[in-house]
Amino acid sequence: MPRQIRKRNGVVVQFDASKIFGAIRKANQAVGEEAMTPEMIDVLTKKVAASVEGNDIPTVEQVQDRVEEQLIAFGYAKTAKAYILYRAEHAKIRQAESSLMDIYKELTFRDAKDADIKRENANIDADTAMGTMLKYGSEGSKYFINNHVLPKDIAAAHINGDIHIHDEDFYMLTETCCQIDLIRLFSGGFCTGHGFLREPKDIRSYAALACIAIQANQNEMHGGQSVPNFDYAMAGGVRKTFRKAYFKALAQYFEVSHGMSRGDARALVSAVRESVGSEPTLQRGEAFGQALSEWLPAHQRENGFEAISAQEALAAHAYAMRTAEADTDDATFQAMEALVHNLNTMNSRAGAQVPFSSINYGTDTSPEARMVIRNLLLATEDGLGDGETPIFPVQIFKIKEGVNFNPGDPNYDLFQLAIRTSAKRLFPNFSFLDAPFNLQYYKPGDYDTEVAYMGCRTRVMGNVHDPDRQVTCGRGNLSFTSINLPRIAIEAKGDLKKFYKTLDDRIDLVIRQLLHRFQIQCGKKVYNYPFLMGQGVWLDSDKLGPDESVAEVLRHGTLSVGFIGLAETLKALTGKHHGESAESQKLGLQIIGHMRERMDEESRQTGLNFTLLATPAEGLSGRFLRIDQKKYGKLPGITDRDYYTNSFHIPVYYPISAFKKIELEAPYHALTNAGHISYVELDGDVCRNLEAFESVIRWMQKCGVGYGSVNHPVDRDPVCGYTGVIGDVCPRCGRREGEGVSIEKLRELRKKYPSMPRFVGLE
Amino acid sequence: MTQKTTAANETMMVGEGVGFARIRRITGYLVGTLDRFNNAKRAEENDRVKHGL
Ligand SMILES: [Zn+2]
Repeated sequence: MPRQIRKRNGVVVQFDASKIFGAIRKANQAVGEEAMTPEMIDVLTKKVAASVEGNDIPTVEQVQDRVEEQLIAFGYAKTAKAYILYRAEHAKIRQAESSLMDIYKELTFRDAKDADIKRENANIDADTAMGTMLKYGSEGSKYFINNHVLPKDIAAAHINGDIHIHDEDFYMLTETCCQIDLIRLFSGGFCTGHGFLREPKDIRSYAALACIAIQANQNEMHGGQSVPNFDYAMAGGVRKTFRKAYFKALAQYFEVSHGMSRGDARALVSAVRESVGSEPTLQRGEAFGQALSEWLPAHQRENGFEAISAQEALAAHAYAMRTAEADTDDATFQAMEALVHNLNTMNSRAGAQVPFSSINYGTDTSPEARMVIRNLLLATEDGLGDGETPIFPVQIFKIKEGVNFNPGDPNYDLFQLAIRTSAKRLFPNFSFLDAPFNLQYYKPGDYDTEVAYMGCRTRVMGNVHDPDRQVTCGRGNLSFTSINLPRIAIEAKGDLKKFYKTLDDRIDLVIRQLLHRFQIQCGKKVYNYPFLMGQGVWLDSDKLGPDESVAEVLRHGTLSVGFIGLAETLKALTGKHHGESAESQKLGLQIIGHMRERMDEESRQTGLNFTLLATPAEGLSGRFLRIDQKKYGKLPGITDRDYYTNSFHIPVYYPISAFKKIELEAPYHALTNAGHISYVELDGDVCRNLEAFESVIRWMQKCGVGYGSVNHPVDRDPVCGYTGVIGDVCPRCGRREGEGVSIEKLRELRKKYPSMPRFVGLE
Repeated sequence: MTQKTTAANETMMVGEGVGFARIRRITGYLVGTLDRFNNAKRAEENDRVKHGL
């Protein structure tokens, strides 16, 4: 029997076996069956005490773990369950007594740079008034959910770090994200909840309304917003802008070359619009010119207007085409520049954040869409105002063989431009429609069958609820919860059977939790989501009235189980992670494959879309690790860093070639149908080598990656405007971080770099 | 940015106290400055090694 025990507050006290005895008796009495004799309880108490004997002073948590184990080992399953609940209840009470007010104090009196809790999401500024207000709400909500909403064992699992319920603060409120079909939304105009917006008439208003739609939806959901078909959606705006520009230029031509009054020229053009059947477009210009040259001379003659020959009509048409194309191109560039600018500055969530936006594009081969894609990439390459790299929207270039991947494909030039842009600005990322798990849905030219990704990685495509509607638009993730995989492996102590048993229990728990949350979500009405449901953004919500339940249409969404730290899991089970050993890779694929099978099985049974997510680990990578480090100490290769490795990634610190990393991670993309991403880190100079960059992307495509990108350092000196890799010293102006540069030097530099930032009043 | 200037040896200096902006990808998205990374992410970013081709 140990002599001492370490309490939760760290204080070491005398070990008292009667406390264990008392706790077991209490739990057994609470059950009311499987009655235990005092002798039996005594046996168990001694077993527990013996099991924690050793050189180290045991902790209360360890002793409680042993109690659970012994109860289960001796077949007292119900008592074990009661004991677990008893522990959870006490964990809650402890939390209730201290944490919420402490959290509020921390939020109030500490800066984000000192308080990790204020940097949970790197794109929220928690130092502002509204940011702090949001955090008060968020922390208060989590407290309420943990203590009054969640079933006890689920709350305990979340608090103790077995699982992590993402966006728990929104548990009672809404869903994660949605893929917005702007084409449907724009048609006939729409309402944001703050006024009606007419159907847009040109590319600039298309782009502006795209931002407004993203913003409106973002305020009703807790995750990001994505446009899965940005090129298809914006092409309509280009078409309208071109038509307007064409007729304007046609009128100008007659004003100048025939000396017509503006009124006459306009009258002529409106007669053309009424009488020449087709409309001029970038693609069908020639046909329209032909029709014009046949109709116009006769029209002039018959009405006794001044003569215009067929040849002149053709010349006018040629001028109008040329001018309209150039004007439309300019307008499209401005529209894309404004879109990127807006999405980096527009407020959502009471000003604490810009909307978390993603746009997918690359596959529409119409000249209008090509104009959109090209100008968006060029605007991204240029950067914001003083050349800053845009953070939003997350851009995803969809790669498809026969469309843009190979020389001769109609959008191959845009793929090349995408590579050049990404090598400078980190965006676009690349998605791969030829990966078999994406290709199975693909129908040429139908954007609804092209898999799209949300910025961080979310993917929504398969649909067991409605197999005829395996589409991207109008659907999204409902909620997701992640499992702490390394902990299961640590506890299994090399016993694979035990590992899988615990994993299955955790999956069961998470499924139960996701369904618990789903029931709450199903209690909502259309009027709870005036935009998302009220404007028909979510699939089938257009068929519902404002007072109707959203329960049925939510079934188009996904419920996802995520995981973190496969690398550490494999380390714990085999001593090597999947980058180090082919055996470990095999085991890794078995584990993740098993999780996926469980999701498919659950989908079959419930008719709901249960999917497996390679969790984006931003907040979680540290949280799980911190808890486990306290629990198990610093286990080499497992808990000895400050984070667990992202989903199925090869650890970031492990030296491996880009190609090998991609090859090893690709098979996990096929298994994680709720979303995945792989990236490689390239040296700044390698990255400037576009062929090398392209070879990485092509390898991703070949290996069956679904979504990937290339990371490289993008630094910027706000003083001289230099963008690229900056070590200690800025290569352009020669200053170190925090140092000043003389005005003379900046003036000198500006001769060479005219786009450098200006310093008002100094120069 | 703040335009902090000082006259040092009668030369106007620009940019004192101004840091460099360092953009990094967290998961699929970018973050404009390392200051807003949480501790774990900062450690992860710090540990990242470049992948050769
Ligand atoms: Zn500089």
